[in-house]
Amino acid sequence: MTGTERNQQLQQPAKDTRNTGPGRLLIAVYAIFALSATARAGYQIATKFADAPLSHILSAFAAVVYILATVSLAKPGRTWFKVSLAAVLTELVGVLVVGAISLFDPVLFPHDTVWSLFGRGYGFVPLVLPILGLLWLNRRRPS
Amino acid sequence: MDGYFYSILVVGLVSTVMCLVAGLMKKAPNDPTILSVLAVELALLVYLVGSIVRVALGERIAGETWEFWGYMITALMIPLGAVYWAVLERTRWSNFVLAAVGVTIMVMAARMNQIWY
Repeated sequence: MTGTERNQQLQQPAKDTRNTGPGRLLIAVYAIFALSATARAGYQIATKFADAPLSHILSAFAAVVYILATVSLAKPGRTWFKVSLAAVLTELVGVLVVGAISLFDPVLFPHDTVWSLFGRGYGFVPLVLPILGLLWLNRRRPS
Repeated sequence: MDGYFYSILVVGLVSTVMCLVAGLMKKAPNDPTILSVLAVELALLVYLVGSIVRVALGERIAGETWEFWGYMITALMIPLGAVYWAVLERTRWSNFVLAAVGVTIMVMAARMNQIWY
């Protein structure tokens, strides 16, 4: 067995996973956001849903996106890669669109969501996270 | 902000800096970084016991009671979960995972203080 063959054998099964190296940090941060977004959405819907239904539905949607991203990044395989890609892209579009709307038309989102003002309430992590996510997914793209 | 918050702030900051430096030095999680995260857990346990005592002595939480305890239970799980996640794959990246614990717990402790007063 030559060195390259051994290398390929070692890399082949590992190629379809995203839960290693920097991916572990990414998954950890996504998990924290999944947790806090879920708790926040649950709290808002349980206590003051009628005040601002749109922004609370959006909070719940963001929570689902974060949960999907966390789980799919941790799972191996092509299908989960596609789920990851969809979740991270949705997150990027979400934070950009909601960020812009909340900036230009604050009346539409009287209550803060994770994505309001590009995630300012969370140290702009929600804006940086999908970009890092896409870079990581690109590096671990299944062949 | 009370003493519990400030002690968590200090322990959390120290732990985050230690884990960050270790990660930047390309080290895998070792005793000092893991122990620093467990120190955060210990500070939270002190906050937990202190809060139980205060409630038992008749002090009232100004905000939502269940929100405070929800934060407390979640916060208590984070350091343990992170250590578990970090020792499963001992690379420099796991030290960055551990570094995230201190920051997260500091923010949560600040929120818990807001709810209490």
